[in-house]
Amino acid sequence: MPLDTSTYSLALLRLDGRRWNELRRIHAQISTQAAADGSSYLEMGNTKVLCTVTGPAEGRQSGQRGGKDSEAKVEVEIGFAGFSGLERRKRKNDKRTAEMQHTLETAYSSLLLTHLYPHSTITLNIHILSQDGSLLAACLNAATLALIDAGIPMTDYLVACTAASSATSSDSDNSDPLLDLNNLEEQELPFLTVGTLGKTDRVSVLICETRVRMERVEGMLAVGIEGCKRMREILDGVVKEYGKKFS
Amino acid sequence: MEYFSLKRSNAADRGGLNLSSKVYVRSTKSGKVQKIVRELYLRQDIPCSSNLCRPCLETAPTDYTKKVAPFVLSDTPAGSKNFPNGQYLVPDTNAFLTGMDLFEMETAFHDVIVLQTVLEEVKNRSLPLYHRLIALTKNEGKRFYVFFNEFRQETHIPRDVGETINDRNDRAVRKAVEWYNQHITQAVKTRSKSQMRIPSVVMITDDRDNLRKAKMEKVPAITLADFVFSLENADELLDMMSAAQDQREVRSKKTEVFYGEHYTVSKMMTGVKAGTMHQGIFNVSPYNYLEGSVHVPAFDKSLLILGRENSNRAVSGDVVVVEVLPQDQWKAPSTKIIEEETLNKNDNPEVEDGETIVSERERKALQEEVKRAHGQSSEGKPLPTARVVGIVKRNWRQYVGHIDQGSVRSTSKTSRQQQMVFLVPMDKRIPKIRIRTRQAGELLGQRILATIDSWDRDSRYPMGHFVRSLGELESKGAETEALLLEWDVQYKPFPKTVLDCLPAEGHDWKVPASLDDPGWKGRKNLRDLLVCSIDPPGCVDIDDALHARKLQNGNFEVGVHIADVSHFVKPNNAMDKEASQRGTTVYLVDKRIDMLPMLLGTDLCSLKPYVERYAFSVLWEITSDADIVSSQFTKSVIRSREAFSYEQAQIRIDDASQQDDLTNGMRTLLMLSKKLKQKRYEAGALNLASPEVKVQTESETSDPVDVQTKKLLDTNSLVEEFMLLANISVAAKNYEAFPQTALLRRHAAPPKTNFEELANQLKVKKGLELRSDSSKALADSLDTCVVPEEPFFNTLVRIMATRCMMSAEYFCAGTQAYPEFRHYGLASEIYTHFTSPIRRYADLEAHRQLAAAIEYEALDPSLQSKSKLEGVCKNINVRHRNAQMAGRASIEYYVGQALKGKDITEEGFVMKVFSNGFVVFVPRFGIESLIRLRDLATPEPEAQFDAENYVLKVGGEVNGSVELFEKVNVRITDEVEQSTGKRKVKLTLV
Repeated sequence: MPLDTSTYSLALLRLDGRRWNELRRIHAQISTQAAADGSSYLEMGNTKVLCTVTGPAEGRQSGQRGGKDSEAKVEVEIGFAGFSGLERRKRKNDKRTAEMQHTLETAYSSLLLTHLYPHSTITLNIHILSQDGSLLAACLNAATLALIDAGIPMTDYLVACTAASSATSSDSDNSDPLLDLNNLEEQELPFLTVGTLGKTDRVSVLICETRVRMERVEGMLAVGIEGCKRMREILDGVVKEYGKKFS
Repeated sequence: MEYFSLKRSNAADRGGLNLSSKVYVRSTKSGKVQKIVRELYLRQDIPCSSNLCRPCLETAPTDYTKKVAPFVLSDTPAGSKNFPNGQYLVPDTNAFLTGMDLFEMETAFHDVIVLQTVLEEVKNRSLPLYHRLIALTKNEGKRFYVFFNEFRQETHIPRDVGETINDRNDRAVRKAVEWYNQHITQAVKTRSKSQMRIPSVVMITDDRDNLRKAKMEKVPAITLADFVFSLENADELLDMMSAAQDQREVRSKKTEVFYGEHYTVSKMMTGVKAGTMHQGIFNVSPYNYLEGSVHVPAFDKSLLILGRENSNRAVSGDVVVVEVLPQDQWKAPSTKIIEEETLNKNDNPEVEDGETIVSERERKALQEEVKRAHGQSSEGKPLPTARVVGIVKRNWRQYVGHIDQGSVRSTSKTSRQQQMVFLVPMDKRIPKIRIRTRQAGELLGQRILATIDSWDRDSRYPMGHFVRSLGELESKGAETEALLLEWDVQYKPFPKTVLDCLPAEGHDWKVPASLDDPGWKGRKNLRDLLVCSIDPPGCVDIDDALHARKLQNGNFEVGVHIADVSHFVKPNNAMDKEASQRGTTVYLVDKRIDMLPMLLGTDLCSLKPYVERYAFSVLWEITSDADIVSSQFTKSVIRSREAFSYEQAQIRIDDASQQDDLTNGMRTLLMLSKKLKQKRYEAGALNLASPEVKVQTESETSDPVDVQTKKLLDTNSLVEEFMLLANISVAAKNYEAFPQTALLRRHAAPPKTNFEELANQLKVKKGLELRSDSSKALADSLDTCVVPEEPFFNTLVRIMATRCMMSAEYFCAGTQAYPEFRHYGLASEIYTHFTSPIRRYADLEAHRQLAAAIEYEALDPSLQSKSKLEGVCKNINVRHRNAQMAGRASIEYYVGQALKGKDITEEGFVMKVFSNGFVVFVPRFGIESLIRLRDLATPEPEAQFDAENYVLKVGGEVNGSVELFEKVNVRITDEVEQSTGKRKVKLTLV
């Protein structure tokens, strides 16, 4: 029986040896798929995501695909590789995936300057290669990179990460907020996913599916937003590094 | 353009030194195999936590509030013979598994480093030990520090190819010790050039291979035994070492096994799932230690487990898996008393060879049983028997007992020779425990606390070890502590953190004079009401007070005022947590173990007369027929006019010359309470009885003087009725406000089979009928169980009926369906405890819920969580029962003391008949005791037992018969019971 999240308070160390305010190792690349209009690959610890962007393109049949007269439509499809989780399982389009897709669609519809592309569709295809927590956050980050690679104008980076509230021991009620959860922590602790616009504190995505004490939320949000700022620096670095090749 | 490849990116990036990964394979419950990959971030800022080290302090981590945890390990650790410069101890897993009691000693074992590797292994091997270890790390005085060696760059080691997991863990421990030594040496050197005292970091292990490797690598290491030897109080400490490890070494010598092997967990689980095996809790009969029973969900009646072989090392209380035996081995439950003491007096704890698992005499006893069962098939009720095939969960705790004198080889007090002795537990259902000790001479005649460590197939009795001595047998202190320990009552003084939660004003606290004070917010001023309290004499923790007055419209206003404890005990502070753990106040004859500190219980909360106190009031408008018109709940301030004892109140009510308002109010209450009682009985409430006696003690020495049965006055039931009414009203209100989380109390209807035996006995012996289809039917038929010439007979039946009942329990509303809420005994649809918050935690929780229900204050989150409340309920249910048991045990002890040296003849009633003895109940002292055939005459007279008619015909010189419910005269003397060391009342037939 390995230790669980309750031992955090013993030495302020999480299950994988991180402190409360540390992100996992982030590795990202853009323009990974030549055939796509834009693409990216992102690792947050053992969560690995591949994202490709098609478009903006004209809808195949006007009216059916394709956006309204004035703006482009954003479509998101998320696929899970059979080997991505602990057990090999076929995931059809279940509700959880549908909700993630919907979250991404609404977030990017308002972020991208869609009015520049009337009557067209922007399709994001996200492939989950490996899951180890913070899945939605990884998808958002990978999508941002791929959209930048595709050259679709947007107001700022949309970056995301997760934050949890650590387990309380029986004798003390204070708990540290934890940043960027892995799978084990997500299963044991209440957590939320927060996405902000670049360096600002403007939250554009916020999802919390677990019950959490009201007074803890503030700390979790603060830590999550702080994490987003660091995430933006990392992604910005990736983009700039890639840009150097053209200089 | 350069494109991406998964392979390359990984290879290039994985080079980073600070990232490692842990890959392992595990199998799930359903049998699938999963491969798990986890990241490990290695770091250099994990402090060594020694106060000697400065660099670590600079890099120590901060939490969200920017606080740094203080360093744990002392800069001047204690030394020992081998390590004069002081030592930090690094025990390995086995050291904790075998020596946890040692590590918990206050006087030894400070400055211990618990490695993450070890902590994980301990958790793997034993969860209770893991929790004890975690508790140790939180104990500031012990200075235990958990070092996460697997996350520190220098001490992390990957597993080599072909290396077993144990070897790797041992290597990790050695590595950590090596690093620690270097680190501490360096830290001391940089701190001051002159200081030479460098403490050693010492590994404690009993693994020979590990010791050898440590020697090679020049890592300081020592065995646990050797280390303890080098300490000052070695003798005492050595006894506390678990016996399990010695056995490991000796085992190879012996091959003889006494017991069958336990099945593997997977085999048991498959069996239980398939229905061929059953899981349940193993209970041993208090009359016959060879007969156990297991209640399993698949059958109505319990399965019998007969004999040592079949019980296969299960100890009463364990969760076991059993297999039903073939039908030809089914037997009727024993009608014979078998006590371990009388059969196996001569067992030698040292010698195991040549012994059989069932001793010759035990076999004889069993044989007779079988004969009887076969011979009397006319009785025709053999029950299914079963045997234990495996143990799911041991429920071993610490046991109180005394050393069996016969098992001690040398009784000399000065002898330091190690010998094996038997500890005879006070609880008769627990087998003797073999204990190795060097202080046998000293321990004789003392109350001893010990634990069981293991029970192997090659040992007839479980092995255990000595924990501590409580004091002389029969001394008041030792016996009281023994029974508190035996019933797991927390009796240590309240820690400082709890006392810090008390109001700063102490005894000078007063209800604020100004009505604008925040304390008055939301409170009704009821100071003008003529309130009084009625309690047992000498009661200092007054929970409740009452008043009644006539209203304009001819109805009555009745108020029950309960001490407002929730005002003083706020949720989740240290005091609340302590109270929730204690669960209830425990009343012993000479002592009260409080749930809340004295200041609150007997002063600030207690509704003392003539002073103003905060209260939580329930006010009803009641018609003169005792119908409730309306009820109202409010926080209030009251001033009690008088504190009566039951007797005083009765005298005052009966005295017609007293015509003041207070007395008239009490008369009103009495009048209404009688009507309420009548209504309750009409609804089917049971009037049960339990033998209650009161021990009169001398006021100063609290030596018992006399024993009296409790008298019941009208005023007793006056208070009781209104408390019941308040509880029911509050339960309904709380349930309405919190349908999921209201804390309630239920009393399940007893299964019919419970009454079968009693009903049959009544029918056969007295021609009376006992119906148990509903509580009303039972109440009515109990009323008819009367024998005109013997008024006590009815009480006796009620006492016996009480024992057939289920016990009432606290539960959380969301866990049961509404019909299950019913309180069978009180015939009420819904019930809770509200009226005694000073002495019961359940009431305190009900207060908080009611306060939230009337929107006086917000509900604490802990009371909104069903799972947390369930935990609370579970605990207070256990505490409640234990408190009752401890109270009874205390009375039993004092009754024994009161009768010490006396010789009285009293009337008694036969309650139970066995084939070689019978149980007699003496109402005068509330005692019941066994009379065995061999007590009647020596040699033991022949006897014939007619099980159908419950008659035991005794032949020989006695020549008479004993039958159930018969009134007998018994002679009461006292003797010290050999098997438990308790002074007990002894009865003999006159």
